Amino acid sequence: MNSHRNDSRKEGPLAAAPIIELQEVNFQYPGAEVMALSHIHLTILRGEFIAIAGTNGSGKSTLCKCLNGLIPNYYVGDLSGYVQVAGLIAENESVSSLSRKVAYVFQDFENQLVRPTVYDEACFAPLNYGFADYRERADRALAMLGLESLSDQWIWQLSGGQKHLTALAGALSLDPDIIIVDEPVAQLDPYHARLIYDKLKLLNEQYGKTIIVIEHHTEFIADYCSKVVLMDSGTIRWVKPVQEALSSVEELEALHILPPQVTLAIRETEEQQRPDGIYPVTIPQAVDYYRTRLPLFPLQSIDEDAHAAKVSVPSIQSPATTLVQFDNVSYGYKTITRTLHPVLRGIELAIHEGDRIALVGNNGAGKSTLLKLISGIRRPNDGLLTVCGHLTKHTSPETLSDYVSYIYQNPEEMFIEDTVRKDVEYFLKARSSEDYRPFVDEVLERLRLTPLQDRDGRLLSGGQQRRATLAIGLAMQPSVMLLDEPTASLDASSRREMTAMLNQLQGRVKATVIATHDMQLVAEWANRVIVMHNGQIALDTDQQSLFGHTAVLELAGLIAPQIAQLSLALGLRPPSLSVKHFADRIRKLMGQHRSQEEADSIASH
Amino acid sequence: MQAIKQSMLDKLSVEQIKIELMRTAFGRQSVLLSRFDPRILIVWYSFFAVAPWFFHNKTILLGMLVPMAVLTLSSKVSPLVLIIMGIGLVSEIMYILFGSLLFGGSLEAVWPLATLTVKILIISLASIAVFSSMDPEKLSDALLSMGMPAQFSFGVSYGYRMLPILIEEYHNLIHSFRLRGRSPRDKDFLRWRSLVYMGKIAVCAFYPLILNTAKRTRTTVEALEVRGFTYALISPDAKRLKLAYLRVKPLDFVFLGCSALYMIALLALGRIFVL
Amino acid sequence: MVSAPRRRYELTQSQKLMVFILAMSLYGISNMFSELIPEIKLGPIEIKVEYFAFIPLTLCILFNPLYAALGASFGEVIFGELLLGQFGGLGELEKFIEFTLAMYIAGLLVSDPRNRKQLALASFVAVGIDQMLSAIVDISKVWFGIEELEAVPGIPESIVLIEGLSFLNAMVITGILFSLLPTLFLVPRLYGKIEPLLGMKPRDSRVQVSFGKLMTPRLLITSILFVFIGVTGEFLSEADINIAVWEPEFLEQYGSGFMWVSVAAAALVLIVTLYAAVRAKSKNSQSTEGSQI
Repeated sequence: MNSHRNDSRKEGPLAAAPIIELQEVNFQYPGAEVMALSHIHLTILRGEFIAIAGTNGSGKSTLCKCLNGLIPNYYVGDLSGYVQVAGLIAENESVSSLSRKVAYVFQDFENQLVRPTVYDEACFAPLNYGFADYRERADRALAMLGLESLSDQWIWQLSGGQKHLTALAGALSLDPDIIIVDEPVAQLDPYHARLIYDKLKLLNEQYGKTIIVIEHHTEFIADYCSKVVLMDSGTIRWVKPVQEALSSVEELEALHILPPQVTLAIRETEEQQRPDGIYPVTIPQAVDYYRTRLPLFPLQSIDEDAHAAKVSVPSIQSPATTLVQFDNVSYGYKTITRTLHPVLRGIELAIHEGDRIALVGNNGAGKSTLLKLISGIRRPNDGLLTVCGHLTKHTSPETLSDYVSYIYQNPEEMFIEDTVRKDVEYFLKARSSEDYRPFVDEVLERLRLTPLQDRDGRLLSGGQQRRATLAIGLAMQPSVMLLDEPTASLDASSRREMTAMLNQLQGRVKATVIATHDMQLVAEWANRVIVMHNGQIALDTDQQSLFGHTAVLELAGLIAPQIAQLSLALGLRPPSLSVKHFADRIRKLMGQHRSQEEADSIASH
Repeated sequence: MQAIKQSMLDKLSVEQIKIELMRTAFGRQSVLLSRFDPRILIVWYSFFAVAPWFFHNKTILLGMLVPMAVLTLSSKVSPLVLIIMGIGLVSEIMYILFGSLLFGGSLEAVWPLATLTVKILIISLASIAVFSSMDPEKLSDALLSMGMPAQFSFGVSYGYRMLPILIEEYHNLIHSFRLRGRSPRDKDFLRWRSLVYMGKIAVCAFYPLILNTAKRTRTTVEALEVRGFTYALISPDAKRLKLAYLRVKPLDFVFLGCSALYMIALLALGRIFVL
Repeated sequence: MVSAPRRRYELTQSQKLMVFILAMSLYGISNMFSELIPEIKLGPIEIKVEYFAFIPLTLCILFNPLYAALGASFGEVIFGELLLGQFGGLGELEKFIEFTLAMYIAGLLVSDPRNRKQLALASFVAVGIDQMLSAIVDISKVWFGIEELEAVPGIPESIVLIEGLSFLNAMVITGILFSLLPTLFLVPRLYGKIEPLLGMKPRDSRVQVSFGKLMTPRLLITSILFVFIGVTGEFLSEADINIAVWEPEFLEQYGSGFMWVSVAAAALVLIVTLYAAVRAKSKNSQSTEGSQI
């Protein structure tokens, strides 16, 4: 069904003319003191796959919005310089004429979708621009992305990944030359993000589209992009081919961009710095690298020392108190056709004191529902669920909140007051606690929110918002803390910070359950991992053995951290979960190998 | 006892309301009247929405009521809607009647009030028959072709898009309040305090909802700009293309013709038998 | 003549669209809920939530009142009626006009969103105008619908009583609980916070309200009041009953036709004022957004 009608005319000399050219571009938002963009020079050739990386506020989105005319037509401000896009001089064009050449998928793509069904969404833009063949265009765009089967679906029935693809189809139906995607990984789980990238790759290779992604997840950059534009406070620091770019480890880390784990690992294990400063950046490259250096490849030895040295796990053998008990619990919701749609089926689960549970699984596996059942805002259709001695069926969420605090995936839905402090106090105030102020002060201080306490939660940055929700949860002094995707859509540094904060929860709460897609978090934080699939518990294990169960991982759409994938590819079992651990193991192996060689050579003499 | 109360409260829960709303909004069936061109139906409706006010002859009014009732039944309206309408209409008329007795009227007032009831009934049934079965998108397209601003027809499909999101968000916000709040413990008359508690939450939840929606709206409008919505507002092409599917077919004229013949016959009948 | 309200602050095309969409979705969704909240009936007195008046009102106060009011009314029709399959045809049109007018006027009344007195006044004016207009429509329906109304004793008084009761109910329940209190709670909290989210500057309260600006809403309110009183009076006099207050002596001299003239005059003033207001707005908006908005 994939039509390749367009190929012929796109197959010309790709490298010839630049499709985007910016010269000495400067931009300032009205009333802002600093330039949002200054002295920008950038040339992008037709058919390139570009990543624009940089910290928040470095001007990535601003740069991209210059390309489709939103700047300066929609965001008024002072724009100077020369901007040429797909043969059009931006100065003489409007948003509508530029948008036909440049498609844009926003970071919060959900709000970009304005039509009820997928097909409508794909028709919307060409219809607005008065293309008589708008239906064919929509069909073509849907076919390119393999969405034909979804075309009659309501948007609200789609999963996050499908929504993102729909947004892309809506942009693609104008047959643009350039596609800009703003942080595709931020709002999606890694599995779906990879699907999106595969589609982008297809559009790039088969249909000759020029792709620009705003991205700071370097594993994705390494796997898909050809060039990296690094931005820093409104300027372009450099433009480099991808391998060279990602090997600039120090520079990236200084800008809070986490280099690929494989690159870090190889730098760790190499004795001296390479003169050209170029390192492997993808897993296949790294495997090749080690294949030549480790003659014992594939490594078969089970590294017992490493196994013992794993992240300390408190023994669960001791008779710990059970906090939450699921007895054959089922839950389903009524659909609009009045049938019951099962979400959870026959769940048997006990959560004990001291548990740090990571709840993983693909979207729709029932992770959030499980948390909602514990919090009491959903009640089981069948079976018994006891939470801290209360049957949730007969207990109001208000009562359960004395024991459980539930942190939503979307922090904005937790900010019900107009300042962070009031939000943190809300629970204590409602219970007219005696003099809660010092306690609130302490919680705020601990989560470094004291300077932000008088601001509205939703006006904070992503990382700050997460911290604020954690503070809200902590102030409830719960026995069980439930968190839904606490690290989603955070950049590398905020993510690291969040993981540290979560580690601090120990001692404050008796048990924690986190629903997450972030395998890094699983690796660094959990002591028990529950894999959910299709409303059932597929696996209940510890995090060390999790990444060994490749079949289950695949079933649940989970992607192990890069370093674990590398260890497995090299035959290291159990897989390492941190770069440091991996490097230690490799060094030891290399050392063994060397001493073995030395011993051999001595023996042969 | 506690459990019963809890389940009563559940019936009224946002969850339940959500399902009901989604069901009505997204579960539409096709019926007899939806075969006609929406513009023809609007014209047809406009006549029957205004005409009853100008007739006092009960023969004619009853004659108009019959086809309305038939069409309403054919449009598969949920009985609940009809019952609610019926109760509302009857109780309103009863109030007026009792009121008039209070002011020294007599039971003779029943007759003119019944006439009034029939008139209102014809109009309500006409609107139910036509609009409850009409796809809102079609209706908005018809209105667009009749000169309604494009914002309206955009609003309709945007409504479909936003409805589940907004309900979900409101629902989550309410839960946010409940998960941190404290519901009244004491039992009291008619659960008065619980009602106040829930009412207060229902209102307070709009504070975050307004702000969160404002944040959304900004991206939406930006995307609308990029995707040519504002361009379409000033370009006639888009409107022409969008409405190209609306066509008046012979069947529509048959429908209008039959209605006209029926009305003429009815007027003639009304001259002979004056009720 | 009537001076049209001048722009309070500049808004770009897309900002108007934002206000419109915001008001539409928020009031729309609240309307869906208020449609579903059960009402308690105690005889002819219904204790019910008419609507969540504070939402459109708050937005009218914080932003451009015209776009917020129009957006809210559209939202009601779309979410509360169309999507629920309850579209009432022409009946919606009358509600639309009543509600838009009420919210628009109430929004214009507030010159400083931090002034609680103005907020309180606006809360009652909004509900009051809307209810008054709908009472007028209801009364005229009976008037048109019943032939020879004067021949049926008791009905006119009965209607006025019922409409009066429902007006009182709306003012107490909706006016206080769903307009006054939430508005007083929301507006000061949102003022200065929501505008940056939409990329706008907050309304400047220091702008002095000129005489012309104040004149218009007052004039509108007065004329609506006038129409209301006029219609009620005429209605009762048609029915040949005389309530002391509504039997001015000049009525005998000039005949009941005089009352008609006054009603017509008031209605005319109302229409002209509205027309001027809308014209002035759309002229400023370069009319790219369609003819009515």
